[in-house]
Amino acid sequence: MKDEEKEKELLSLLAVRRPEAFWLRQKNAITRAAYEKNAVSRAWLLAPAAAAAAVLVMFLARAPQQAPAPETLVSTAFLENLDLLDDMDVLEAVPENEL
Amino acid sequence: MTEMQKKETPPVPPAASEEDRFARLIEEHQRQVYSLALRLIGNAAAADDITQETFIAAWKHLKGFRGDSSLKTWLLRIAANKVRSYWRWKKLRSWVGLDQREEDGEGLSLNEVLPDDPAGRPEQAALAADMERRVQAAINRLPPRQREVAVLRAQELSMAEIAVTLGMAEGTVKAHWFEARKKLAGSLGEYL
Repeated sequence: MKDEEKEKELLSLLAVRRPEAFWLRQKNAITRAAYEKNAVSRAWLLAPAAAAAAVLVMFLARAPQQAPAPETLVSTAFLENLDLLDDMDVLEAVPENEL
Repeated sequence: MTEMQKKETPPVPPAASEEDRFARLIEEHQRQVYSLALRLIGNAAAADDITQETFIAAWKHLKGFRGDSSLKTWLLRIAANKVRSYWRWKKLRSWVGLDQREEDGEGLSLNEVLPDDPAGRPEQAALAADMERRVQAAINRLPPRQREVAVLRAQELSMAEIAVTLGMAEGTVKAHWFEARKKLAGSLGEYL
């Protein structure tokens, strides 16, 4: 037998043979795994955008509550506590120009 | 472009979706990638995992494929590198005592080596399984480099293509193949 033929025979012996159903199943499994991985990585790509959106929502939810001017606060405290004028804590809280 | 490249990469219609193109890439090369992984590892489940990882990695980096080698050579190089990583991982696991030594051909079920035609299955299956085990055992006995060369040769790669895939000089590939062939012919003489 020729050398080339012997080599061909040996190589044919080393080949892996599987039924068609095996290759089809394998192809489907690879395709499925690839798209699952892709979906997961896409989800991760969206994570920074989702975090930014959450921060924005929190910021907007807090924004409408306008803090009252300090003078108003002090005046209200003053009026509500007229009977406590002798209380030094209240007097100290009122700016000089309001007294 | 060589004749071989022309043959193995038929033009994909422009309308083909990403899914179709990926499925086609798998169909064209899965036999060679899986055969390489199985013959180098001797474990069907691990070979399946490596085949899957190879195609996913290839698909991810396909845009970076420069076409210096054929697509087949490129895919087989990815698979061969993954097999080397697998062995390094196995070595590490056995070093820390997490791995038991596995039998040759572990994970090969009879169903996997059965032919498509169900007629005459019992005898055929027994013969096929026995031959499969002997072939795998003969390959496992080869030193790592000879094993890689022999397995790539079985995927119909030329000496030059094997040299590119394994990053070896062509002369070294020929020397490894010469030795591997002699040993395999000795072990599998009854089938030749």
